[in-house]
Amino acid sequence: MSVTPLLEARGIDKRFGPVQVLKDVDLTVTPGEVTALVGDNGAGKSTLVKCISGIYPIDAGEFLFDGQPVTIHGPRDAAGLGIEVVYQDLALCDNLDIVQNMFLGRERRSGLVLDEPTMEQMAAETLAGLSVRTVKSLRQHVSSLSGGQRQTVAIAKAVLWNSKVVILDEPTAALGVAQTAQVLELVRRLADRGLAVVLISHNMNDVFAVSDRIAALYLGQMVAQVKTTDVTHAQVVELITAGRSGDLGLAAEKIDNGVEYADTLTTPGAEQ
Amino acid sequence: MRIGPSQEEVRRQNLGALLRYVHIHGPTSRAELTSELGLNRSTIGALTADLAGAGLVTEAAPRETGRAGRPSLVVRPESSRVYAYAFSIEVDQIRAARVGLGGQVLDLRVDERPHGLAATDAVPLLAEFVKELHHSVPDDALYVGSGVSVCRMMRRDDGLPRLTFTTEQIAAPLSAALATELGVERPVVAGNAGDVAALAEHARGTAVGCDNVIYLHRDAGVDAGIIVGGRRLSGHAGQGGQVGHMVVQPNGRPCSCGSRGCWETEIGEYALLKAAGRDPSTRTAGMLTVVDAASRGDASAQAAVRQVGDWLGFGVANLVNVFNPEMVIFGGTLRELYLAAAAQVRSRLNSMALPAARERVRLRTPQLGEDAALIGAAELAFEQLLADPLST
Repeated sequence: MSVTPLLEARGIDKRFGPVQVLKDVDLTVTPGEVTALVGDNGAGKSTLVKCISGIYPIDAGEFLFDGQPVTIHGPRDAAGLGIEVVYQDLALCDNLDIVQNMFLGRERRSGLVLDEPTMEQMAAETLAGLSVRTVKSLRQHVSSLSGGQRQTVAIAKAVLWNSKVVILDEPTAALGVAQTAQVLELVRRLADRGLAVVLISHNMNDVFAVSDRIAALYLGQMVAQVKTTDVTHAQVVELITAGRSGDLGLAAEKIDNGVEYADTLTTPGAEQ
Repeated sequence: MRIGPSQEEVRRQNLGALLRYVHIHGPTSRAELTSELGLNRSTIGALTADLAGAGLVTEAAPRETGRAGRPSLVVRPESSRVYAYAFSIEVDQIRAARVGLGGQVLDLRVDERPHGLAATDAVPLLAEFVKELHHSVPDDALYVGSGVSVCRMMRRDDGLPRLTFTTEQIAAPLSAALATELGVERPVVAGNAGDVAALAEHARGTAVGCDNVIYLHRDAGVDAGIIVGGRRLSGHAGQGGQVGHMVVQPNGRPCSCGSRGCWETEIGEYALLKAAGRDPSTRTAGMLTVVDAASRGDASAQAAVRQVGDWLGFGVANLVNVFNPEMVIFGGTLRELYLAAAAQVRSRLNSMALPAARERVRLRTPQLGEDAALIGAAELAFEQLLADPLST
């Protein structure tokens, strides 16, 4: 799969006062693929996403969208490019139903009144297109939905607006097993439909289950962006915790703890 | 010596291709059929007229196109009129459904499968379902045949699984039972659970457009539906795809098949429950409890899921090296296990499979869920109609 990247961040720097949060970060996001963004707490994952979505201004670096340099000054610019972010807290309104939530702030009108039938139809088509079968009625209030269903609605909302890049911030945190499975399958389906998906997750199983590429941040630096087919679980954990694993990641002298790692091949089941 | 296919054969082929297209893709405009099938407009018109005459499709003007010009007629499969019976004999339940052309489940009956009930003994129960289902069938409906998906494991009286070989043996008695029940003789085709689910996912699920697919199916045992070059790989006697009985540990645990150290003894539901220190007779529900406990941080459950996931990746890596599939689908209860242990599965695959083979392989979960067995069984039943639409 040698597709041209849809979104490219180059040499992104971000400081908050004396603290340098992102140091010369590169990230490429390809359509039809899930790029998992991993890193320890405080590695800069959320900051990077907020820079991409225009919430934080960047201090240095550039963004390329579809190969063209773009400037992102605010969330409106990002939305205009087709970048949608689904946050952990979802930003859905409890007192509105599913259709109202999906069209919130962008309602369809026919003449003076809202065009409810069209909106309902578009919402239904979007959910059906994503093979979402868990939602009973589109006129259900969001307050009556489970965590997994809410996540589904939030993701479908991003899809409805013809987004090209969907960024998901820990979509499976705080979900049960069955709901996690549904959300992961939905994430995979988004990419299979040709969208570029960025998945932020702490859960290695989620990362390996759906991602095509893994981008690892370590103390504000992008230490590796690798194909999921080329790395093992242990290597990714090393990248997250030490910034280096074998030939991957930061060069050896940059790390001060000086620990050496060796690859070992064990028989199945021997690790635990 | 014949020079080429006769006109009659070409026609049959084209009729089949058109009917298959609307069967798989749903209502389609004549204009789209013309471009998709690469046939002349007038040929499409003639073929559609023939199929409509036989009551297999209907034609109607689209409601609104929003485009200028005379709208192209839309060809729809007669889903409510043309139907097949689809059966699924699973390890813990039996199901019967009436499935319309186009793959819609029109009506469904489900019951538990008692322990100790052999697959062939389920035939009278299925015939009973058909009797019930047949009450609601409209008079002008057309029955084209039946398909049955058979799980090769059965529960002994104590609830533990045992391997039986009955996939092919079930077609004849079921066919006889249906003939007496419905009064018409139609073909009954049987397939293994894994094969049938693979067929369904290949036709209208997550593997659409993929011609090299391995569908791993786990209920009490593990088997696979393998599609190579767009065709099902069933083996000489229809017994292929028993990947659960690849030996991975020569000195391993004894398996229900009589051998030792089969893959199934490491990744089966029994293995997972045993590794987690749970009661092995709690079956699927117990298996889901282990996965759930692991996600909540239970250390013994996590260790069990990792260990079994590691073994899952071990076998998948071998299969990927042998078959070089585009997609491996984790079906049945492997879906939950794969999602919970994907890191182990992937890591093992990445360290064992050949780079050229593993680079392109996509690991997926099924899209059709529980319905896959019934939809796949119906596909088996529709196969003959699609090969020669006007013969029935």
